Amino acid sequence: MIQHLLLISHVSKHFGGNVAVSDVSFAVEEKQIFGLIGPNGAGKTTLFNCITGFFPTTSGDVIFDNKKINTLRPDEVCKLGMARTWQRVKPLGSLTVLENVMVGAFSITNTTREAEIIAREQLQMVGLTDYTTKSAGSLSIGLKKKLELARVLATRPKMLLLDEICGGLNHTETDIILNIIRNIRIKGATIVFIEHDMKAVTSICDRIVVLNSGEKLAEGTPEEITNNSDVISAYLGGGHHA
Amino acid sequence: MKKIALSVIAATAVALPIFIGENPYLIGIMISVLMMAALSSAWNILGGYAGQYSFGHAAYFGAGAYTTLILLTLYNSLNPLVCMAMGIVVASIIALITGSIVFRLRGHYFGLASIAVAEIVRLSVLNLEFTGGAQGILLSDVSLWGIDLNSKNPFYYGMLLVLVVTLSISQYLRTSKTGYYLQAIREDQDAAASLGINLAFYKNKALLISAALTSILGSLYGLYIRFIDTSAVLDLRLSIEIILTAIIGGVGTMWGPVVGALLLVPLAEMLRSNLLGDLLVKAGLVSETSGIGVFLKENLAHAHVLVYGIITVLCILYLPKGILGLFRRVK
Amino acid sequence: MSFLQPLLSGILTGGVYALAGMGMSLVFGVMNISNFAHGDLMMLGMYMAFFAFTLLHIDPYVSLVLIIPTAFLFGFMLEKLFINRVIHHPHQNQILLTIGLGLIMSNTALLAFTSDPKILTTTYSSSAFNLPGGISLSVPLLISFLITGVTIAILYLFLAKSRTGMALRATSQNREAAQLMGINVAKMSAIAFGIGTALAATAGALIAPTYYIHPLAGHSFLLKAFTICVLGGLGSVVGAGVGGIIIGVVEAMSSTYWSTDWKDVIVFVLFLAVLLFRPQGLFGKKGGE
Repeated sequence: MIQHLLLISHVSKHFGGNVAVSDVSFAVEEKQIFGLIGPNGAGKTTLFNCITGFFPTTSGDVIFDNKKINTLRPDEVCKLGMARTWQRVKPLGSLTVLENVMVGAFSITNTTREAEIIAREQLQMVGLTDYTTKSAGSLSIGLKKKLELARVLATRPKMLLLDEICGGLNHTETDIILNIIRNIRIKGATIVFIEHDMKAVTSICDRIVVLNSGEKLAEGTPEEITNNSDVISAYLGGGHHA
Repeated sequence: MKKIALSVIAATAVALPIFIGENPYLIGIMISVLMMAALSSAWNILGGYAGQYSFGHAAYFGAGAYTTLILLTLYNSLNPLVCMAMGIVVASIIALITGSIVFRLRGHYFGLASIAVAEIVRLSVLNLEFTGGAQGILLSDVSLWGIDLNSKNPFYYGMLLVLVVTLSISQYLRTSKTGYYLQAIREDQDAAASLGINLAFYKNKALLISAALTSILGSLYGLYIRFIDTSAVLDLRLSIEIILTAIIGGVGTMWGPVVGALLLVPLAEMLRSNLLGDLLVKAGLVSETSGIGVFLKENLAHAHVLVYGIITVLCILYLPKGILGLFRRVK
Repeated sequence: MSFLQPLLSGILTGGVYALAGMGMSLVFGVMNISNFAHGDLMMLGMYMAFFAFTLLHIDPYVSLVLIIPTAFLFGFMLEKLFINRVIHHPHQNQILLTIGLGLIMSNTALLAFTSDPKILTTTYSSSAFNLPGGISLSVPLLISFLITGVTIAILYLFLAKSRTGMALRATSQNREAAQLMGINVAKMSAIAFGIGTALAATAGALIAPTYYIHPLAGHSFLLKAFTICVLGGLGSVVGAGVGGIIIGVVEAMSSTYWSTDWKDVIVFVLFLAVLLFRPQGLFGKKGGE
């Protein structure tokens, strides 16, 4: 039996009468770059929140590294090796860039000195070394996204869940982020991407799942997905966002 | 530069009683300043760093005061320090109960819950017999290692010591993993959780440290004044005063609470002792026996809470980061 | 004595509590602010009723006609002048601002009226309505309950049917969306706060004939009002109504079967119990999860 790194098994999430996610199932293998796409309101972020412990699932299980995690707290999920970024960035505004990343590093060390070393490493990896002492709240959106990436990388995750990490970035910034992600995969991490930017998704993902109105619409390679008529009509006649 | 300033302040603080020791009134004021500075600094660990505002910190102050004095009244030969330790235990229990109920919730319930707990403690003490009820507790005699506890100087140094300990803990936390985590919780709880921070655990940790320090101060107060009742050590006004002192000085900065205490305590004293009223009379502006004179004499003493209210409003509207916040970014 | 006595008395008192709680819930729903001055606003209502009675010789219940619009304007102004400035600030600062305003109110009252409790005695203050079974219901409480019922009915109609009421409810559900729909959310906040103040003052005026009136009277009501709101579900006006009745009954029962000294403690313990077992309250809308 194949051991998936992450198994989403018939997960549903209801908020009162509102069905946000309905019976979604898919599996992510180690070292894959996996895409989760769909129109606005399809339930992608809600699914992320269920996976990472911010919402309990109404039904269904999330199994990560052979452990059932849907009843765990978010910090417990992180400790197991799954880290996430946020659609609306969450910098720790009053802290400096370095301190932000150190908070991430502290999840794998207890000493301030080691945390600083790990943090500086990650800042270098994403190219933020020049901003070390700047307050996180003062950065531009593109840099905030890089900071968030550095911060989660400092937790040395086995799996990274990225929620629209390219949102609000121009083409150059997007390419830089994508390259960083490719490097992360080379270092052994698995990545799940929520994205709107179809070009970004198809250029980097090994496999894609499409959600629409909370349900799984399609699953396959980037080629299969871009040629899938259901997917195309779900996006209303185009796979591309301006 | 910083080290020199720090040494000067420390030296002044230690040497002060030599200069003003003959004047019990002034020493008394300084003891109040030190106590309020320490109380606000202890509160700041939870409020300024972790962003959890407790509006019921008087509960821990009272826990220390009442536990210490009750034990000493019952068993006169007990070492006061042992009683203080018991006070810490009681305060910690209250803290753990509060924290375990509230810190697992996501909404903003901590403030309200802290008031509820403080009121439960206050009303319970008021209604129970062994706590002295409305009459309070009067401590007859107390001794510690031969130190004359009837004079004020020992308490000056006692309060100073607790203040130094509190500030040291604050400083240590700032650069430790716990400190980073508390600040992360203050900035964004969801982000903090997603980075592996057990929110309830760290909030409880901060609360316990804060409550323990506050309880020690309550015990010291009890030994100092020798008389306590619920309005002196368990009142909501005390809780508010502690917060206000931190806010005016600068929440989340290390020296903010100290600055706040240096400003507010003398101001409150001036109002309470009718200094202002006396000044007006002496200046001949107001006749002591006129209607206004009598009104001022009776009421200006109460006005200090009114002034607190006005200062709070002005501070929140125009100086939310406090005095030190003007100079430094919140760290 | 049958338990009907405390039950009925409790329901009557609970009605007044419900008013206070509903005012606070409305403010919380629309503005997401915990108003720690709510108790002091009640206290102002008590004094208004007292002075209307002693100076103008108007019956306290009749004086509501004056008190309600005055309190509404006062609350409206408070919001525009002070509260509005911190609407986007962290909630701790908002709470502190309301605490400061409350301190100013209660201590100005202390200076102006002294701490001697005032007593408002009308001709019917100690009259009781006697029911079969030996149950006696205080006339002032009965009248308050009736007035409370009428007020709640008016409030309900206003919120459900009027344009402003619907705008208030929309703002309460989702401030951003309401703003996008063209609703003037700043004005909604001021109106909500005005109504909340008016309800608090009304509650104060209604209990004035049966309570000691003094400047710090509001404080014991503050935490009770919060307990009611949390019990009912933060932001749910209906919930606060139900919560008020429940708290009134709990208080009356504890007074009768345990002791009057501990009735407040029981209410506060109930508050903690709600947080422990059902933080979203009975009709939970906001906050809870």
